[in-house]
Amino acid sequence: MFKRSLWITMLLVFLFVLTTACTSNTGSNESVNDGNNGNDDNQGEANNSDDEKIELRMSWWGGQERHDLTLQVIELFEERHPEVKIVAEYSGFDGYFDRLTTQFASGNAPDLIQLGGSVNDYVDRDVLLSLNDYVGSELDTSLIDESAINAATFNGNLYAMSLGTNARGMLLNKSVFDEAGIPLPDDEWTWEDYTEIASQITTSVDGVYGTQVGSPNIFEYFINQRGKVLHVDGELGFDMDDALAWFQLWEDIGDQEGLVPPEIQAAAPEGDAGQSLIVSRDVAMMEIPSNQLGSFMSASEDEFVIHIIPYSSETGINGVPLRPSQHLAVNANTEHPEWSVKFMDFFVNDLEATAILESDRGVPVNSDVRAMLIPEMDEISSRIVEYVDWVSASSDADFIPFFPGYNESGDLFQEIHESISFGFMSVEEGAEVFMDELNAIMARHAD
Amino acid sequence: MLIKRNPLESSNVTGYLFLLPWFIGFFGLIVGPMFISLYLSFTQYDLLTPPKWIGWQNYIDLFGDRRYIASVTVTLRFMIIAVPTQLLAALGVALLLNKGLRGLGIYRTAYYIPSLLGGSVAIALLWRNLFGMNGLINQVLAIFGIQGPGWVSHPSYALYTLIILATWQFGASMVIFLAGLKQVPTELYEAAEVDGANKTRQLMSITLPLLTPVIFFNLVIEVIKSVQVFASAYIVSGGTGGPVNSTLFYTLYLYQRAFNYFDMGYASAMAWILFIFLATLTAIIFWSSKHWVYYEDGGGRK
Repeated sequence: MFKRSLWITMLLVFLFVLTTACTSNTGSNESVNDGNNGNDDNQGEANNSDDEKIELRMSWWGGQERHDLTLQVIELFEERHPEVKIVAEYSGFDGYFDRLTTQFASGNAPDLIQLGGSVNDYVDRDVLLSLNDYVGSELDTSLIDESAINAATFNGNLYAMSLGTNARGMLLNKSVFDEAGIPLPDDEWTWEDYTEIASQITTSVDGVYGTQVGSPNIFEYFINQRGKVLHVDGELGFDMDDALAWFQLWEDIGDQEGLVPPEIQAAAPEGDAGQSLIVSRDVAMMEIPSNQLGSFMSASEDEFVIHIIPYSSETGINGVPLRPSQHLAVNANTEHPEWSVKFMDFFVNDLEATAILESDRGVPVNSDVRAMLIPEMDEISSRIVEYVDWVSASSDADFIPFFPGYNESGDLFQEIHESISFGFMSVEEGAEVFMDELNAIMARHAD
Repeated sequence: MLIKRNPLESSNVTGYLFLLPWFIGFFGLIVGPMFISLYLSFTQYDLLTPPKWIGWQNYIDLFGDRRYIASVTVTLRFMIIAVPTQLLAALGVALLLNKGLRGLGIYRTAYYIPSLLGGSVAIALLWRNLFGMNGLINQVLAIFGIQGPGWVSHPSYALYTLIILATWQFGASMVIFLAGLKQVPTELYEAAEVDGANKTRQLMSITLPLLTPVIFFNLVIEVIKSVQVFASAYIVSGGTGGPVNSTLFYTLYLYQRAFNYFDMGYASAMAWILFIFLATLTAIIFWSSKHWVYYEDGGGRK
């Protein structure tokens, strides 16, 4: 008796689990219709027309300004195509990729996805829609910069649209430079100049340090300056000597008191202009992406200028490439690939839409859009465009994405820097661990 | 001869029906995922492409992983320091409150509140600001002319700020201690007083031995809680476990592996090792309890 009733109970459990699982899959639309069947015909029809709407989901990260602008563009698209409804999923940068990964894993990722420099990570996992079949029909790429197309092309397939062109640069706090009586560097400054200026600032302005330890982006340029690249064909493009030179560079700047103490740098959250050390006047020089200039300027009363990254005095190479700020990609499993691509096209090519977005995601990649926007830009935007143009004219390097396994290699980079600056590792030990583990990460992502 | 009955009339079925919600939770949310994670721990699984069977490789890799070892060290250090500190604080305050103070309820509530709030994101954020470079703590120190370090951004101090945060949440154990103290029969103290035992002697010979079942319970709970620290470390370090892995708790590294590095197989292996470690540790504590836990009625003793 006992066994039998247990068996019945278990059956009930599984039936219950099964039914809940099924209903959650089909979504809530069905249950709405069920309720309306015998009730009120009009309401039922209204619901039906709503059901027939094509629903796309789009996710992005950003600040409030970007949210507002993007929502306006979505509204505009829905006005033009009343049959489409776009559900926006937006947030800050923190946790954006964690959520995206989980959504992909559960088969619940949005149709349209904003990505950053890690498009390659997603292409490797076959979760993005190849856009080749749509180019020329839904997607017009005729006016898009070639470099932008190249940056999102892998193995001959286009996987994403660049949402803007960026060039990273060194943000200088001009007010601090003026107070210290230090002239702004010229356009061809070198790492030696940088080191000297950093230590001058620390010694001559009270409470302000020269600069903070360089980001993975500067590391990329530094490698370019040595005539090498971060990685080719799944293997590192540089060796131990290059890593040693890099960590030694920052050790030297630190020895000459040009660096902010590591505990101050470790406390500053990444990617938040308002809480950055240059805005809090802890440092006077810091590397930023050009499209962020506005956020930094509005967060401080100091005067900022964006300047090129220092050159290598040995090779004379600068190494800063133009790069896509962000990408818009389509989920490979989307139910509405055509509409998703159509929206993507609208987002980068439509003159009305791009007029709303302006340069919030970098300088527009469509040449017509640029021609339309530039004369009407405010001062900050035109300074961004000026800087990007300058880099575009002088650039001596191609954009390549960061190492595969973006999060992992980025964390490793930061950890090694902290270990050295807090004195847990020597420069040599740091460089060695860095190379070893980076190679392991590359190997893991190669298969 | 058996009489056939309608199975639904059986009282067992009714019982199981009442248990149904729990069964669904237990099988659907605990047992199921656990077995899936056991399977995943033998695979390489990046969440997006199907898992690939690699046998024991994840378990082997763990032992050569510098950051894994760092995470084990951090978690053990935390456990060894935070658990005793917290239990002592809880017991100490419970002993004070047991003196029959006026307004006991108010004190009890005041000390209990942190353990309700302490695990929350808001408190972790508050902590991060209190102990920041220009936080309240350093401002107070500055009045005395001391330049405080970055408590949460310096690898030598970051873990200790988290230990203080955990200790501050002693309220839950304290309430249990208080209840335990109330159980100690007063006649024992009266008898001891007649025999001329002073307060310390009474504490050592009556209170503590009779409190050992409660200490045992709190110890098990706190040990388990201490290896599950996640939210506070995640918030205080901005998700990195830094600076220099000083707040890289086991669960935080597990999370990074799973959701930041797309390495669910490895993370599952970590989870299973944690599970086995915790089960073993709890078993050891239970086994050792034979030797130091006393029950007033002699129950549990041979």
